[in-house]
Amino acid sequence: MIEALLQALINGVIAGTILAVPALGFTAIFAVLNYPNFAIGALATVGAYAGWAGNTALGLPMVAALALAFAATAVAGLAVQWVAVKPLESAGALMMAIASLAAGLVLENALRFTFGNDLRGYDLPLLRDWRFGEFRVGPQQVQNFALALAAMALLWAFLRYSRTGRAMRAVADNRDLALLRGVDPVRVAAVTVAVGAGLAGMGGMLIGLDTSVDPLVGNRLILSIFAAAVLGGLGSIPGAVAGAIAIGVAEELAVLAFNPAYRLVVGFVVILAVLTLRPAGLFGARAS
Amino acid sequence: MTALTVEGLLGGYAAADHVVKGVSLAVAPGELVCVIGPNGAGKSTVLKLLTGLLRPRGGRVALDGRDVTGLPPRAVLEAGMVLVPQERNVFGTLTVEENLAMGCFLDARRARSRMAAVMDRFPLLAERRRQLARTMSGGQRQILAMGQALMSEPRVLLLDEPTAGLSPKAATDLFGLVRATAASGVAVLMVEQNALQAMEISDRALVLVDGRNAHEGPAPALARDPAIRRLFLGGRGEGRMDATGTARETSP
Repeated sequence: MIEALLQALINGVIAGTILAVPALGFTAIFAVLNYPNFAIGALATVGAYAGWAGNTALGLPMVAALALAFAATAVAGLAVQWVAVKPLESAGALMMAIASLAAGLVLENALRFTFGNDLRGYDLPLLRDWRFGEFRVGPQQVQNFALALAAMALLWAFLRYSRTGRAMRAVADNRDLALLRGVDPVRVAAVTVAVGAGLAGMGGMLIGLDTSVDPLVGNRLILSIFAAAVLGGLGSIPGAVAGAIAIGVAEELAVLAFNPAYRLVVGFVVILAVLTLRPAGLFGARAS
Repeated sequence: MTALTVEGLLGGYAAADHVVKGVSLAVAPGELVCVIGPNGAGKSTVLKLLTGLLRPRGGRVALDGRDVTGLPPRAVLEAGMVLVPQERNVFGTLTVEENLAMGCFLDARRARSRMAAVMDRFPLLAERRRQLARTMSGGQRQILAMGQALMSEPRVLLLDEPTAGLSPKAATDLFGLVRATAASGVAVLMVEQNALQAMEISDRALVLVDGRNAHEGPAPALARDPAIRRLFLGGRGEGRMDATGTARETSP
């Protein structure tokens, strides 16, 4: 039993780290643009297909395919923002959230129309799991874990050291003051959407690498992404990472106790519990 | 020549509702002018209209003779005028150093040299350069907010109630820094609730009532004017003024 728990813990940390990538995108968009972008699931699917196409049709290695997934999803995210969300900006965050949900459905069905419902797999060699005593870890899992960590490190460096990253943090912290200090809010919003959507695309591809690619790859993620962001505190970057790892571990542990079909319950329970007990989340200050 | 000239400024939060109903003022380089008045007189709204946070409905704003009326905040900043808002005037989740860098956002190449100059003027900021702004005291945050504003080497510095919420000691210290900033050649326009102390350190004062100029003149003379003292300054015949500028005598 202890071995099963530890194995679930290892799997959960890896799954949570990968989940953190799209959760970071979701929370970054929320922090700067002040609305929950529910197209993030469909954008993750765009990334999964873009990475898959880059890998299988263009023969790109994983890192290059991941960069392609980021770029393609950044463009798709900007299209969602400009076509569906921005025209409703004056109507408030709820309308923007609904617009993003609708745009996500359009994207998902456009992918279904183009690629069909078949499961697609990356062009990867089949490798035996590494065994450490009673525990086993797949080489692909480890590679995905490393790629997710690298993506997060790049994001951290961008936010910490670049002028644009600092402007994004400034707008998220205090939009009016950022405006007074000369920050162009339209440009910062565009960069945030591109980076946030790009991260969702990378997350979609990493999850596609772990499983397979189909039009619902992102749809299955959206609740976990939202739960991770809510748990960490909407708009909090470290919160999104901590929340995602907690959700990843909780989902893996839940599988030990329940039928895997009920894994999604974890997300719902976490959202309900956080909103009831600590609406600001673990690291958030917004609701306090 | 004045650094900032405002003539007949009109505006407010809604198109038909003018909070500011014709304010005129001028500030010369190196001069400190305070704007005082009762709550609701439109003092802070004047600053928002000057910096592009609100769009004026009439009047003219000029910086060094150049018309900047109705320009967006970024253009006003580029023209050399910077505002320190009353509340939330620093980025709480950024460090002191990052806050200062944001003050020089439009000219990032000069950030390093400007930061050295600002830290030289405010040594407290150098000591706390890696501290998150939200963990600083109110007085320290006000100093950081001023330092951030001075990063862009403004010709005109606008301060919105810089001593609000500060202890008397911190307020006195901050007024000293404001005075020193004006003495360095910057034109300073300061909105203040703390009327007596503000007039003590200012060169000139403007009393706003109901969105209009009510009294103006050299600050020491205004501070001695019995009518103004009755309206604002308390003491014998403790007086307060309501939003229409009517003095209401209260018992001492």
